[in-house]
Amino acid sequence: MTEIRGRAVVKGRAEGEALVADAMLSFWGEVDPVSGEVIAVGHPLQGQSLAGRVLVIRSTKGSSATPMVLNLAKLEGKAPAAFVNVEVDGLAALGCIVNGIPMMTDLEQDPFASIRTGDHVVVDADQGLICVMVKQESGGPIG
Amino acid sequence: MELTTGQQDILSGGAGPYLAQCMRWLVDWGEVMGARRLIPVDNVHALLPVPNLMARGASAATISRYVEGLREACRHKTAPQCVCTVHTAFVTLDELDVPENDPEQVRMQREISDMAAAAGFIPTFTCAPYLVGNVPLLGEICAWTESSAVVYANSILGARTTRHGNESAIAAALLGLVPEFGVLLDENRKGTLLVEVSAGLDSPTDWGALGYCAGKAAGLGIPVFSGVGRPTQDEAKQLCAALATSGGVTMCHIAGVTPEAPTLEAAFHGGQPEAAVSFSDESLRQTYASLRNHTGDEIDSVILGCPHASIREIAEIASLLRGKRVAEGVRLWVDTARGTRGGADAMGYTKVIEDAGGRILCDTCPTNMRMPARRIVTHGFKQAHYARGIVGAEVIVAETGPCIRAALAGRWLGDD
Repeated sequence: MTEIRGRAVVKGRAEGEALVADAMLSFWGEVDPVSGEVIAVGHPLQGQSLAGRVLVIRSTKGSSATPMVLNLAKLEGKAPAAFVNVEVDGLAALGCIVNGIPMMTDLEQDPFASIRTGDHVVVDADQGLICVMVKQESGGPIG
Repeated sequence: MELTTGQQDILSGGAGPYLAQCMRWLVDWGEVMGARRLIPVDNVHALLPVPNLMARGASAATISRYVEGLREACRHKTAPQCVCTVHTAFVTLDELDVPENDPEQVRMQREISDMAAAAGFIPTFTCAPYLVGNVPLLGEICAWTESSAVVYANSILGARTTRHGNESAIAAALLGLVPEFGVLLDENRKGTLLVEVSAGLDSPTDWGALGYCAGKAAGLGIPVFSGVGRPTQDEAKQLCAALATSGGVTMCHIAGVTPEAPTLEAAFHGGQPEAAVSFSDESLRQTYASLRNHTGDEIDSVILGCPHASIREIAEIASLLRGKRVAEGVRLWVDTARGTRGGADAMGYTKVIEDAGGRILCDTCPTNMRMPARRIVTHGFKQAHYARGIVGAEVIVAETGPCIRAALAGRWLGDD
């Protein structure tokens, strides 16, 4: 388990499987709030579900309807569990505040190097701490 | 954040639970974004859409909870000093015989529209409020939704607005306040990225290409363009829309052109850019190519007016369509604000476009409606970018002239 300190943007504690991409994402137009999936063509997360995930991306971008889509996704049970963003777009911060989703930034380590998709991540924004449990590689016998 | 006694009282419920919640949104948002106080806001562009189509398949409980939130907002009055206009909806309030214009959703949107009007909102239902009379002055404090309009207001008009979402804009409208952070403060309006332009820009769509390329490089930063002349209003509209599509740009400067950038040095507040990129004729060509994923030439949709068309664009479209006929099986949409459509009706442009088989669509746009299409030609980079995912269509982004030629022929004929 790795512990990484960071700055809380929106307080709270949540955990889930990490979904990681060094990319920006607009919720309106690039995320379907009902399926929770990324629908943006050519996006590194295209086809992935955000539901219950710890979303590790550079930042949100694009549409001002990001908080609205996050709200609808939350009502549908398809919102991310937490946001870990390198930069803070005010729209993600607003969406997280309104929907009670913890958000952290300014990690002491590069999140794209220290967190991988599938890792189990606890985001404790109350303590300014992220715990990463590396995904156990499953599969057949070695060799 | 330091609150006045009056603000504290609203936060504690002195003006009722809904306004307390609005104050809580603004205070919490301000605190995480580094604001020290709330300041008066003069101008709001709010997002009040009934979301059925965008949330297709959502439970009745989700829709009803969301719409009840809109109703609650509209039971209060907007702040007296505040101009409050309204962003696009996901349906048109006109009669339109397509399954996407679901009568139940239209009924709910009309109800919200009437309630909003009674609350003090002007139900413009447009993504380009600056084309229908909401034109803030230099330095005017705004709370605008619509990412493209935010960039336009800050950059082209010199007004000041952060990127607002639905809750913050509603709270700003009802309380007449916004948290003071980001580009509301002088020091946060300096450029971060220098974009040296050597490409020849000959149309609004070319300016959209510049914005789409620069937005990707700028991220959440402030690009500064050098080497370009003064854009027309339609060109500026495309630039701003594309910047906030590929990136999360709040404002830009055009050296020697926009109000806060009389010189390149002024755009960077006397400092150095954090980074620099160039935009050549080759970049222009590549940017168009990056948003063309068509696998054939037959087309079924042509979408013009993203962001909503100006009266000048509608006049141009009418002149290209006069006496001609859109090909069988092609839907030609010209999206615009109801206010602009009124002008187009009065000047005869609407009739010319309708006689040619086109249609003027108000309050929304085909992508917002998730209007099915297989292959779309559009002059807007924003439309092209989002339609690929929302509609699942192939797209071709092109200047207005080639878009119209494709509409008449029923197939993509190329740029020239």
